[in-house]
Amino acid sequence: MKKLALLIILSLFATPFLKAQNVEISGFARNYTGVLFDNGEFSILQNTLNLNFEKTGNKVAFKVNPMVYTYNTDSIKFNMREIYLDLYFNKIDIRIGKQQIVWGKADGVFITDIVSPLNLTEFLLPDFNEIRAGVYAAKFDYYIGNNTFEVIWIPVFTALETPSPGSIWFTQPTFPIQPTFDYSKRNVTASLENSEIFAKFTAITSLVDVELMGGYTWDDAPVLHMTKSFGMNPVTHLPYLSGINVTPEYHRLTLGGGSFSSQIKGFIFRGEAAYYGGKYFLTEDMTAVDGLTEKDYLHYVVGLDFSVSSILISTQFIQEHILDYEPGILTKETQNTMTFLARADVLRETLHLELFSYIGLTNEDALIRPKITYDITDGFSVLLGANIFVGDEAGRFGQYKDNSMIYTKIKYNF
Amino acid sequence: MKKITTSFITFGLIFGLASNSELSAQTLDGKQIIEKVYNRPTPPNQTSTLTMTLINKSGETRVRTIKQNTKDFGDVEKNIMFFITPADVKNTSFMNWTYTDATKSDDQWIYLPALKKTKRISSESKSDYFMGSDFTYDDLGDRKVEDDTHKLIGKETLDGKECYIVESVSKDKSYMYSKTVTWVVKDHFIELKKEFYDEEGEKLKVQHIKKYGDFDGFYIKILEEMVNVQDKHSTSLFFENINISVNLPEDLFTERMLMRGI
Repeated sequence: MKKLALLIILSLFATPFLKAQNVEISGFARNYTGVLFDNGEFSILQNTLNLNFEKTGNKVAFKVNPMVYTYNTDSIKFNMREIYLDLYFNKIDIRIGKQQIVWGKADGVFITDIVSPLNLTEFLLPDFNEIRAGVYAAKFDYYIGNNTFEVIWIPVFTALETPSPGSIWFTQPTFPIQPTFDYSKRNVTASLENSEIFAKFTAITSLVDVELMGGYTWDDAPVLHMTKSFGMNPVTHLPYLSGINVTPEYHRLTLGGGSFSSQIKGFIFRGEAAYYGGKYFLTEDMTAVDGLTEKDYLHYVVGLDFSVSSILISTQFIQEHILDYEPGILTKETQNTMTFLARADVLRETLHLELFSYIGLTNEDALIRPKITYDITDGFSVLLGANIFVGDEAGRFGQYKDNSMIYTKIKYNF
Repeated sequence: MKKITTSFITFGLIFGLASNSELSAQTLDGKQIIEKVYNRPTPPNQTSTLTMTLINKSGETRVRTIKQNTKDFGDVEKNIMFFITPADVKNTSFMNWTYTDATKSDDQWIYLPALKKTKRISSESKSDYFMGSDFTYDDLGDRKVEDDTHKLIGKETLDGKECYIVESVSKDKSYMYSKTVTWVVKDHFIELKKEFYDEEGEKLKVQHIKKYGDFDGFYIKILEEMVNVQDKHSTSLFFENINISVNLPEDLFTERMLMRGI
């Protein structure tokens, strides 16, 4: 907390100096308040200050992007979302430092877009520009016209952020008996051997935009290795489950994929796919080591964007498929999801109406997100929205049925 | 000189200086006049800064500032725009490629800095208004001559310049304007003023060039205004830092520059 206060004071005093150096300062202040439908409790009381310090030159540039979140009245969270240096050469750009990297053509779905891990502490509800965590990386881009070859080296692993116990988004894994946890393998030591590497080729042409990518990475979510111990019932003389030891551990993942986007008669067709090699899944197969099985996995999306009377419509079909599937795997072999977006900007683009939905086709559940934003003046907006979870409680969205909420966001950009 | 078919803001602002006095002395019909407007030559390179001011009926203003670069590559004209203000769209950028082949749609991409993503977007929504202004994308581009039936309905002196007055009616009955009436300067085939009529035949908007200048042999718009007479709302476009003597490199019109910004 003292460090944070010091940083804020330094920022305030440094501002005149930074302006004198032509460092651009921008950002936003935002209040975000949400109330649960069910019981009227506040699901979130958050204030955010986002600051961007940027300087761009012909050969070099930098960006520093601290964010401060306060929750309720006494909780504060500081996040240095990005801090990096850019070096520009004739055909090569290099970016070094903590940065957010976004790949792919899908919206709200993360298929080849896995370089920056997600922050799921509030499920999928944060704005998509805030849901990704920054990674410490060196990014190299080599340009040939409108083609780009990109290589990213990440020396320090950054894990997926998940909700803590006590959060309304926390889901407790279920076990037949109370397990014990061994966290000794939960860290990935920062070393050359444990680096992640990604490569991507991008081509932008009149006909189609294409991305091809590959990565040797870590699965951002830990795998739960379960060791079961059995005792003998002295009465029935039958074995019984006497203990479960759970060891969360991160595993390597190899993937390759690509995406495309093209316009045909005013319609934008998009697609994205990735093949993941060596992903672990929990299984009930008693012969499986640690209750896990390793399978390859396919994840893809196809999408269509078009306009009807100035209303933008965007829809996507997403499929996740486990290859060489075996009975006992706790994840379904195939899971289908759709997204739907309708958006209209009216009253001279001061009133923005939007409906976005995830629709779980496999589990028959959904997250429906209507929202209205009004720009009171340029840069100052008020948003009223709702997050409505419906459907099967075993589903990805239906499990949060009790978390349906209405919320407001008041935001000032500067 | 290449036929301008571009559909974005820069391309509506240039007037060729080539003298057409001999032609204007001849008797021209409405279609021939509009063809000469459409076929005006343009400079191969241009950079400028645009300040767009939206004024509502209460006199309240909203200001948008955009830096833009345009280059004619012969078979394709490329334009890249960087949004400077307001704060909520700062660092957003937009790229448009327009082809001489009239059968080929424009290609458009937008880079949204918050999402760190370049998205290809549809270029077919010509009747949408540009950034809440009184200009539709169609108003800002060059409408094809064949899309309308043109008729010379008179001659008039406007702002001290002799003008043809041409009425144009869309062949597409679903078009957002029932007709337009354009005042074309006789000497240079510049559209000095244009009236737009809605589907009921009522006057909707009036576009007026308030100021233009001579830049190395080309007349270029400096200040223009579009007034929506029904909504009492207006938009002015003010172009500064106009430079047509630069030789813009090809790699300026790439995803790299969209993402890097100006």
